[in-house]
Amino acid sequence: MPRVRHRLSLLLIATVFTVVLPAQPPEPAGEAIPGQWWAPGNDRPLPAYIEYANAYGRVGILNAPGLIDTNGHPFFETLGPNGRACVSCHQPANGMSLSLSMIVSRWRDSGGRDPIFAAIDGMNCPHLPSGDPASHSLLLERGLFRIPLPWPPVDTAGNSITPEFGLEVVRDPTGCNRHPVYGIEGERGEVSVYRRPRPAANLRYVTSSRFGVTPFIGKTGMLAAVDPETGQPVNMNMMADARESTLKTQAQSAAQGHLEVTAPLTVQQLEQIEAFELGLYAAQAYSVQGGVLNEPVGPSGLGPQAMAAGSDGVLGNNTTRFVIPMEDKWADLPDSGDTGEREQNAFRESVQRGHDVFFFRTFWISDSMHINTVGLGNPIKRTCATCHGMHMTGMDTANGWMDLGTTNHPWALEPPESPWVEDLPTMPLFKITCDDDLPPHPFLGRVIYTQDPGRALISGKCEDVGAIVIQQMRGLAARAPYFSNGSATSLHEVVDFYDRRYNIRYTEQEKSDLVNFLSVL
Amino acid sequence: MTLFFPLIAALGSQPRAAQPEPGERISFVSCPIVRDTRSVPCWLSEYGGNTYYLTIQSDVSAEVQPPMLGHEVLVEGIVSGTPPICGGIVLEPVRLSVMPERNADCNTLLPADERYTIDFNPRPPGPSAGRLAFAPDPTVVAEPVQPPVGPQTFNLYFDFDRSISFRHPAVLVSILETAAQLQPSLVQVTGVRGVHRLSDGTLLQESVGIAQRRAEEVAGLLGGAGLNVATEIEWQDSESEADGIDDWQSRRVTVILIP
Repeated sequence: MPRVRHRLSLLLIATVFTVVLPAQPPEPAGEAIPGQWWAPGNDRPLPAYIEYANAYGRVGILNAPGLIDTNGHPFFETLGPNGRACVSCHQPANGMSLSLSMIVSRWRDSGGRDPIFAAIDGMNCPHLPSGDPASHSLLLERGLFRIPLPWPPVDTAGNSITPEFGLEVVRDPTGCNRHPVYGIEGERGEVSVYRRPRPAANLRYVTSSRFGVTPFIGKTGMLAAVDPETGQPVNMNMMADARESTLKTQAQSAAQGHLEVTAPLTVQQLEQIEAFELGLYAAQAYSVQGGVLNEPVGPSGLGPQAMAAGSDGVLGNNTTRFVIPMEDKWADLPDSGDTGEREQNAFRESVQRGHDVFFFRTFWISDSMHINTVGLGNPIKRTCATCHGMHMTGMDTANGWMDLGTTNHPWALEPPESPWVEDLPTMPLFKITCDDDLPPHPFLGRVIYTQDPGRALISGKCEDVGAIVIQQMRGLAARAPYFSNGSATSLHEVVDFYDRRYNIRYTEQEKSDLVNFLSVL
Repeated sequence: MTLFFPLIAALGSQPRAAQPEPGERISFVSCPIVRDTRSVPCWLSEYGGNTYYLTIQSDVSAEVQPPMLGHEVLVEGIVSGTPPICGGIVLEPVRLSVMPERNADCNTLLPADERYTIDFNPRPPGPSAGRLAFAPDPTVVAEPVQPPVGPQTFNLYFDFDRSISFRHPAVLVSILETAAQLQPSLVQVTGVRGVHRLSDGTLLQESVGIAQRRAEEVAGLLGGAGLNVATEIEWQDSESEADGIDDWQSRRVTVILIP
């Protein structure tokens, strides 16, 4: 009963917001839209441009080189024994990620037999019984795939790294991290964390090395990862933990891990995947309340066409380039007297205000590793765009991992445990104990509790615990839930997280405007 | 009212802190204080009954970068004769080092106070106008750099008891670029464990092992970035006696490229 009461109260809150804030778009629906699923090997061509409906409007997928034949294309074809392709988890309708609503729909439509539910990572742990929703609960409830990583960490050459901290399993709801085979002390020597798939679009921006990329990581001074083909440093901005250096190494790793291929992808396959991903753009193209987003006279930063035309590797946290250029085109729109146009203009003005909140509204950013430790001070009085500074994407420009608290205590989402609720924690919890002979984590000390140590599982550094690479902000409307651990089910919750974390004290108007802004990206 | 009187009387009877003279060297460890302003926040610290202005919030290009609440800061500076900023005696130049251990008492964030304004025009507390605050003027043509001849020496300076950080990529890149021209036959890397004299006479010495850690990290980074020549790695305690004058220079790694 307590569980029912809890959900009922959430519904009531949502209803109140709908009434009080008419400019607020509907929260993402729990149902995927029929006919949007792109199955591996379906052999239909991917057009040069296509739009898919979502709760906020439509996301546009622009394939810059033009229509491609997916028949035989390694991104779209099943490559391994589990029946998956890259497209399985990078769906066009979901901005080349995979929404929770789509996952739930696939479970229902396939009776739990779709390849995305493969035991290797579509289950909480491979040893669990297949076909039981409980075995896939993190995927079905939060959109999370299991990411098994070697423990202790190994470098790209396969050499073991001595971590600066000890790792203990405090809570193991999936049963994986204490398992005799898959657990930290198990036969495979792995630690399992659970993360959302990142969008395989706009990757020309994501992988750009035009800004701030040197042989050394700007935030820490450590060695940057290099492209194994060229030996050149890369921006380390692609994965949540920056563990892959290039699109090709990512594809190879994903094929072996997620697709369970037995032989490495060929050079030709890797080049096909890379070329496809570098030419693909995704952004919201149409808003239910705001109308067409990619109209030529509109804000120049909106729509997938703008993504295809934009410059990568550009710092946008300035008033010359902007992160999402809008040129104030939706500020103070005229009233033509037409009711429909008036409502659309009201929404567009809200989006403009949301942009201005994102770009100009200051607050104190405090105790965030790799932001407050890179020469800016702790705290700093800045804006969202300080961290989300990359022109067009809102990522960091390079080496973009930082700890906002999405996975670390005390900020990570944890259910309130008490005898009065039935909800139990679903995420693993680790205790990190940093070595005594090294400086402590500057904000969290030597003992840290985390659901996902993030970058620290790769670097072995105490200071990297819970640091996650900033996500791109495009196509958000198509791919809820948000954050690497799926802890924000809606854009409103994303804004709420920041509001709590940094004590911003946004007004309800500011929150609504921010959500509307995020919904059109 | 009568309750307050003794307190006010007590405050009034306290001796005034001695005002430091311009040119006087000041060094202390204390909590930093943030004072908000209409623009960017100021960073202050108190020592010996005086409030010192340390710096303002700017960006990563700033020569003096703000410390961190939650940690004490080691301040080394010279009293300037300029008017106070944000209510603090100005130290110029000033060197700041965030102390590694956490101190929860360092948590003072003062609201904006209309009595304290910043008279110059800092980078605003949000998006910039397109350049980092202290980046070189792109319209100024840099003089051509002469090719390096003979041994080339570089110093990497460190915060107290800390090793490699965001401060060091620029120097490390400079070493690599010079090495590419010089083609050294030998690289000498010497880590130094610093020692520091505070104004009250206290001697601060860095941890045992920090010099070795710094030297090995720097050598490892240079080698990992492709400087694959014979490398001698040494470490030592600071040879100079701490006297409160530029003691920050004792916390360093010296890299010498020898042709």
